[in-house]
Amino acid sequence: MPPELDEDALEYLIARAGLSPTAEQMAGLKAAYPHVAAMAANVRKPRGRMAEPVLTYGFAEEDLA
Amino acid sequence: MSDIPTIAAAAKLIAARKLSPVELARACLDRVYSLDSTLHSFLLVTEEKAMADARAAEAAIMAGRSTGPLCGIPIGLKDIVDTKGIRTTCHSKILTDNIPDTDATCAVKLAEAGTVLMGKTATHEFADGGPSFDLPWPPARNPWNTEHFTAGSSSGTGAGVAAGLILGGIGTDTGGSIRGPAALCGIAGIKPTYGLVSRAGVAPAAFTLDHIGPMAWTAEDCALMLQALAGHDPRDPASASRPIPDYTAQLGAGIKGMRIGVIHHFHEVDHKVSDGTQRGIDAAIATFRSLGAEITEVTLSPLADWHACGTLISLTERASAYDEWARTRLGDFSARVQQRLLLGALVSGVDYVQAVRRRRELRAELQAAMAGLDVVLTAAQPQEAPKIDSVPEWDVGQKPGFTMPFNVAGYPAMSICSGFGEGDLPVAIQLVGKPFQEPTLLRIADAFEKATPFRARRPALSAALVAA
Repeated sequence: MPPELDEDALEYLIARAGLSPTAEQMAGLKAAYPHVAAMAANVRKPRGRMAEPVLTYGFAEEDLA
Repeated sequence: MSDIPTIAAAAKLIAARKLSPVELARACLDRVYSLDSTLHSFLLVTEEKAMADARAAEAAIMAGRSTGPLCGIPIGLKDIVDTKGIRTTCHSKILTDNIPDTDATCAVKLAEAGTVLMGKTATHEFADGGPSFDLPWPPARNPWNTEHFTAGSSSGTGAGVAAGLILGGIGTDTGGSIRGPAALCGIAGIKPTYGLVSRAGVAPAAFTLDHIGPMAWTAEDCALMLQALAGHDPRDPASASRPIPDYTAQLGAGIKGMRIGVIHHFHEVDHKVSDGTQRGIDAAIATFRSLGAEITEVTLSPLADWHACGTLISLTERASAYDEWARTRLGDFSARVQQRLLLGALVSGVDYVQAVRRRRELRAELQAAMAGLDVVLTAAQPQEAPKIDSVPEWDVGQKPGFTMPFNVAGYPAMSICSGFGEGDLPVAIQLVGKPFQEPTLLRIADAFEKATPFRARRPALSAALVAA
């Protein structure tokens, strides 16, 4: 993810999400984007393809009933 | 009534028939009507139901059919908790007239325990953003100084408990929303292990980070409430199925030989806390040592790593939960929540999954660090409560918070008052236990509270009212 986002890319992302922000909000989003990009870079570490996400559920007795 | 009792003290008096639940409810309602036009703890006061609940509790006591230590105890429910037939707004214009047709599981459990529902407490809108001044109701104010922030999102429960309008209440915690207001309002609040308390019927903030838990004046009171709240619920897909221990059994047993790890770098390097907060932490460590605990140092990944992981998950899950309203009614949310929902659009699917993979690594790291320890300790908040009008709007670039790591890990964590700092406002420490080891966590917190004088002091405005 690039550290900066041009207007077209930002508009694309917002349109894809189906959102309708004001011009002021778009400016705020553009300013906030480097922080989001930094967080995304922070979690992107070299890890093997077998490193799974946290499981969101586990099978319990009810599943076997 | 000459004092604001704790839940534990009130329970003993009620059981001995020395305190009437009806009189207790009336006293709390009187305090609500005297103070809440300033504090804004409640979005809705359910006086009629409170008095009916109190009369029912009193009748049960007199008939020898007490439902336990919560019988006749006045409580509040954060207004993201569904209550059958009682307006539940999530502090949002979007749900101004919402009347649920079922109760949340936590509301059912507290009702079955005999509590007296005083009303629905203020929250940040949908447990996010805040403090917001562009909503149908104003934000709650800090009883220690009403120009100051409560933290959130369980703002009304925090303020209401601190001011003695209620003896306990429900908070929810996705990145610190129980522990933050507990810290800034000078009370106790526990975020239990993920899955211990059912989320069914509570509006989501971020599905895999959301926790429900009690907020009260003391750790002992939190233990009494947790006893009623914990347990498997098939209505919650993440509900844990485990035996429920006695959360008060270990209280008062002392902490000699218990092992406490201090994550110094979190609050001294990664996000340096205020002088008053640091003094509270240092004094707490000295207190634990004097009680016989062994203190060691713990090192984890930088706070920024936990923050990045939790924030990416939170932004995305929230955007997913409120996707339809974000697309169709964006302008009806507060400006702060609009911003959060818009930010969700900037996180890609790959970013989200990488964050969830990172989560597993961080959780394994905490598990390894806590081997041989009973709890770890760090700050709960970076500073004393700021002025309510000074809280920044776009907070994505803020320094990382101290509470999110334990939502990421799902470990139980609680905030307790560790003194008073700048402006005579409360400061707090955060204690973190191992999964499902709430009895140990509560035991250590209770020992600290009983060894220090901080539970003897209430905010001046409510203390003056009680004395009058």
